[in-house]
Amino acid sequence: MSKSPASKPARIDGRRLRSERTKQLIIEAYIALLRENPELPVPTAAQIAQRAGYSVRSIFERFPDLNKLRIAAADYSLAQAAALAPARHVDGDRATRIRSQIETRAGTCERGIALWRVLLFSAAEDEDLKLRVRISRDRTIERMELMYRPELQALPEPARKYMLVALEAITDIESWARMREQHGLTFEEACAIWARAIDRMLPPTPTA
Amino acid sequence: MTKRSIPKSSKVDGRRLRSERTKQLIIEAYLALASEKSPQVPTAAQIAERAGYSVRSVFERFPDIHGLQVAAVDHAMVQVAALAPSSDTDGDRQTRIRTQVEKRGRTCERWLPLWRSLVVNQGESAELRQRVVGLRERLVGRLESMYAPELSTLPDGERRHLLIVLESLVDVESWARMQEFFGLSFDESCAAWAQAIDRLLPPTPAGPLTAGSLTPASSLPTG
Repeated sequence: MSKSPASKPARIDGRRLRSERTKQLIIEAYIALLRENPELPVPTAAQIAQRAGYSVRSIFERFPDLNKLRIAAADYSLAQAAALAPARHVDGDRATRIRSQIETRAGTCERGIALWRVLLFSAAEDEDLKLRVRISRDRTIERMELMYRPELQALPEPARKYMLVALEAITDIESWARMREQHGLTFEEACAIWARAIDRMLPPTPTA
Repeated sequence: MTKRSIPKSSKVDGRRLRSERTKQLIIEAYLALASEKSPQVPTAAQIAERAGYSVRSVFERFPDIHGLQVAAVDHAMVQVAALAPSSDTDGDRQTRIRTQVEKRGRTCERWLPLWRSLVVNQGESAELRQRVVGLRERLVGRLESMYAPELSTLPDGERRHLLIVLESLVDVESWARMQEFFGLSFDESCAAWAQAIDRLLPPTPAGPLTAGSLTPASSLPTG
């Protein structure tokens, strides 16, 4: 019986998949280190490599520098936020929509605060990171426009724009972090504060 | 003719005054550079050059750059406090809201770069972290004063929670986003804040506010 050689495309695909998987683990290690050490400077390549279980060389084979790793982590985080935080109860009543949007937003904030702080610090000098920050904010605004459409539609401009500005400010990721870290509020208590504020701010829901 | 000798106390006072003046110039140099380079922290060499002194002069007056940052924040806080006379807590609801947002807007415009530098670098210094907390507490205190009539109608827990929300709304970075991300002008930004505050505050109670109608302002827990 002759051995048929493994087809080249399958070998390359396997290698590529493993490389992608390694890349993924490196990104996850980076994000995990940020979450665990929010007070410390950004992790070094050696620390990331050790956490991921790879060599420093493996990191730089996949990312030309740590800035590119940061950008990849931002993209990963954006994708994760989209996957873990789909819009729910879009057609629900006012209270349901508020609760749904807040809990989704709160979850995103809890997961993303460490990386977000690093991005903000670095974004001042990096156009790629600035773009990711902008995309993240745009998505937050779009979500609020979707969830509070009935109420927002009732407002003329510029009141409608001002309302979105204020909603974004109140539900900013650092606002969440302060409620949890500085004021010592639980997840539920912080959500309740946001819910009450949003309910106060939004105009009455138009009757169908 | 005999030479009059300068009293020792005058000599010492003169030296102390000059030293204080040098300290002030170094602080001002730091503030100017921090604004230009924010959120990066200027180096001692950059600060010394801007101030027109040697690096040695900087470290004769400040133990390290963090010490200088703390002194600069204290200097800034004095300036901000000077802009907020107590009389502007009078007035009807709309007047108080307008006064507060305009004043806050001007403060944010002026101090945004320093604030960013402070927040980004606070992890490295307990004193800087204290200053950040202190600045937020001061803001909350100001909000309590300006909106005392409305806040007095709320039970303690609800009042504290509303202050948390108001503080987030008028945060320095919130101001920055209105300008940089939403593209609002100064007046539009003030209008956005005013609209939100007017919606968040409960109705203003009728009649004059008496001293006894306010429960003692409770300070928010700090981390």
